[in-house]
Amino acid sequence: MHTRALQRIYVILDKQDREQLEALCRILSDLFFYTELTSNLYMVAEDLAEGMPQVERIQKQVTSFLRANLFARIYVHFIHSAPQGNTEEMDFYFQYYYQNWKRVTMEFDREAYMHQEVPRLMLLPLIAPSSHTNPAALMELLGTLKSAFLLPSLYLDWGTFHQAANEEHVAKAEKIYYGPGNNSEKSEIVCSLCHENIVHETSARLDSNPASMMEACPAAVIISTSDGMIYPCVDAFVRKESLANIYDAPHVDALMAQYDGYLASQRDCQACRDRVVASFSDLPLPKGATHELSDLLYHFGTLHQEAENHVLAAERYEKSLKLSPAEEAGPIHFRLGLSYANTGRYDQGLESFGKAKAMYQDQYYFHFYTGLCHFQKGDYGLAIGGFSKALDMDPQQEDLVRILIYLGTCCNSLGDYEQAVVQLERAKQEAGQVKEIYNTLGFSYFQLENYDKAIENLKVAVELDPSSAIDYASLGANYRERGDTDMAVAMYERALELDPGLAVARENLERLRDHHV
Amino acid sequence: MNVLLIEINPFAPVSPPISLGYIAAFLKSKGFGVKILTLGEDASVSPAGLKKLITSFRPALVGLSAYQRTMLYVIGLAKFIKSVDSETKVAIGGPQATFMPSDGFAQLPDIDYVSRSSGEQTLLCIARAVEQGHPFSGLSGVSYKNDDGIVQDTEELEGFSDLDQYPSPYLTDVFDYSRMGEAIMLTSRGCPHHCIYCYTPCAFKHKVMFHSIDRVLEEMTWIRKKGVKRFWFADPNISHKRSRIEELLDGILTHGLEAQMWLQTRADLVNLEMMKKMKRAGVRTIAFGLESASERVMPEIDKHLSIEKVVEAIRLAQSQDIEVELFTMFGLPNETFEDAMKTLAFVKENNVKIMGNTNSQQMQIYFGTPMARHYKDYHIRPLNTERPAYISIGCQYETDHMSTDKMAKVQNMWRSHSLDRGRRIVS
Repeated sequence: MHTRALQRIYVILDKQDREQLEALCRILSDLFFYTELTSNLYMVAEDLAEGMPQVERIQKQVTSFLRANLFARIYVHFIHSAPQGNTEEMDFYFQYYYQNWKRVTMEFDREAYMHQEVPRLMLLPLIAPSSHTNPAALMELLGTLKSAFLLPSLYLDWGTFHQAANEEHVAKAEKIYYGPGNNSEKSEIVCSLCHENIVHETSARLDSNPASMMEACPAAVIISTSDGMIYPCVDAFVRKESLANIYDAPHVDALMAQYDGYLASQRDCQACRDRVVASFSDLPLPKGATHELSDLLYHFGTLHQEAENHVLAAERYEKSLKLSPAEEAGPIHFRLGLSYANTGRYDQGLESFGKAKAMYQDQYYFHFYTGLCHFQKGDYGLAIGGFSKALDMDPQQEDLVRILIYLGTCCNSLGDYEQAVVQLERAKQEAGQVKEIYNTLGFSYFQLENYDKAIENLKVAVELDPSSAIDYASLGANYRERGDTDMAVAMYERALELDPGLAVARENLERLRDHHV
Repeated sequence: MNVLLIEINPFAPVSPPISLGYIAAFLKSKGFGVKILTLGEDASVSPAGLKKLITSFRPALVGLSAYQRTMLYVIGLAKFIKSVDSETKVAIGGPQATFMPSDGFAQLPDIDYVSRSSGEQTLLCIARAVEQGHPFSGLSGVSYKNDDGIVQDTEELEGFSDLDQYPSPYLTDVFDYSRMGEAIMLTSRGCPHHCIYCYTPCAFKHKVMFHSIDRVLEEMTWIRKKGVKRFWFADPNISHKRSRIEELLDGILTHGLEAQMWLQTRADLVNLEMMKKMKRAGVRTIAFGLESASERVMPEIDKHLSIEKVVEAIRLAQSQDIEVELFTMFGLPNETFEDAMKTLAFVKENNVKIMGNTNSQQMQIYFGTPMARHYKDYHIRPLNTERPAYISIGCQYETDHMSTDKMAKVQNMWRSHSLDRGRRIVS
């Protein structure tokens, strides 16, 4: 079985003529054959009055399919704006629209009762209130729907988030969906619903198998009835990359083959998941959801950090921190500090490291990175403190050499050349073939006027990196001080061959030549 | 000839179907081509995909696992299979099938056989009959329908008492290890007890059959090599024979298997030494059947287990840092609401987390259990007299002391104390 089974079908309902509605019903009827044994059909309409006739027509296809396939289950979600009116008017809406809608489920409710199971057909109204919706009337409607086993949910966006604070609403709603928009526009709602599913599914993958984040999310299609286009996922929907037009009556086998082809094509599903997760971070989600989101943001931040994309990494960690419980924030602070340090934001890096100290102070690399921030800021004394602490904590070999080089460089910067030599000579013992050890030692010995030792080390530096113009220039300086003018000239000339713009080599060469003349 | 074995459960994630695994391994050893398909809540399979599988694999026989909860879906699958190829024969087996009344079977037009005996031998018998072109000749261990649709029963088939005679589904690589988070082990089958609500003792005639410990260890070693660390022992009472469980635990330790285990047993079949060894061997969770903490109710269900023994077993497990799960039920004979609350209180007082299998559920009355056969004697009043004959009383009953409202109240009390909102892992 190669074709992935569809888990969800989203339909954006618009005004359609009869022929178009029939075309939609036909394609849905065919698509059900390609859905998972338990699937979800989402139908988004402007409002109840406009959408319900279409929903009822489509529902006939659903019931036909379920009657013919006793092992299948479908959850039908009808998303629409909240009816406007007072409590009495809500009662009318319920009687006229919802109760009629519910009637189709009777045969499945009975079947469920007979088999002691939950019904195979579930109707789930998802209501999007506006700022004008009468709260008392809405609550009344939610309660009535719930008692009729039409389990209602709410869709809230920036204009209506405050309604989530109403505990009575929350208690009566099966679920609350959050969207980033401000006017509950249909396309936006579909994107929000898709994104929310992606967030939950990504969270499940994070728990079970993080490597699978690169895979596509559960199979879904989005159908826009305004133009007939069918899209293979929400990312394609946003980019307007459609598979076909349902009003051209495509054969479903060909359509699903195209769908498979799309899934197999080069797409960055992990990046899509990352973007979706980040887009949710500003929404006023409940506590459990924010925790889940924080973990996801941390995960994606770490992926960016490992790819050395520190700007994005920092963004993700900042968002993760806002949502994380305080007791779990240590690792986020530490990694955020790393990303700040890697993007030149050393003060912020130090601040973040400070907040991670309690958790990481027993780790050498914590002190190393703290030292590095101080070093980059030019606070060499404080840097030495960090590096020395790291050194005392038995760092891993490759990090030990780095720490010693930094310590040597700090000592040089503070004029303590003898101490610099001690650190760098030790680095040389630990790992001989690192250019920075030799050219830094070259500097230290030059400052100590030990030109022979300086030359000895600089020669190794240029052996390790023959393209290093500055090291040739340093050799030139040492030969000059030793009185070996010819060698000094040769070294400066070599430096200028490698880097004609190296001012220190040109100026010193001119001075030597003038002096010679 | 090809045989397709299917387990469908839209309410639980896919897990290795151990019973079908045994049948598959057995049929393969007899020369049949076999595929297993598990249709769980996370299975990405569509009707189109299923049709493609059937038309490409062309099974002459399909075997379906039947449980009360999934019976509707089993019926739907059978119908679908026949719509793809009307010549394909369909058999059902498992807890719902073994004791299903003949008039229930008669109501299932797309099902040709109901397995009444050991699954391995019965399916083999059917497969051979189908292969030879006489699908309803020379059968044992089944009920089938003749050309007039009349149900015919055949003589019983005895399964192997030495379970080692069944090839291992693990050692023959019947399962896909790449997606296996946990291996389900069945080192023994059957139960000697007489608890009135349970199907197992009746199905196995109160006998217990065993695999050798060598075989079990060989399987576990193989499974570990495949990278699976967690083991779920489905034996009803794994410590039924003390020396046997000791030998198994010693073997796990000696082989250095580093397994993480869940197992279940009766509370009166454990002691401190055993618990210590279980801990060392890798047991993370042990489940006991409590059923009820009411002294009034316990004698009614014929479990012959004292509540003190359960308390002791819990303490022993907790002393070794082994997580405890307790199976409990409500709606039991003679149980009042207050009795049901005692059970909830008992679980809380004994510091057992209310989650997973410790979430209580209403007693289910299934075919083949003493409760189903003699429900009137237990003052059980079935509520749905129009239910199909292939569905047992299940949860649709009241007792003299508990109405459906009261049972719903009990359920809600448990849910309000549950750490996972009442999600139960295994029934």
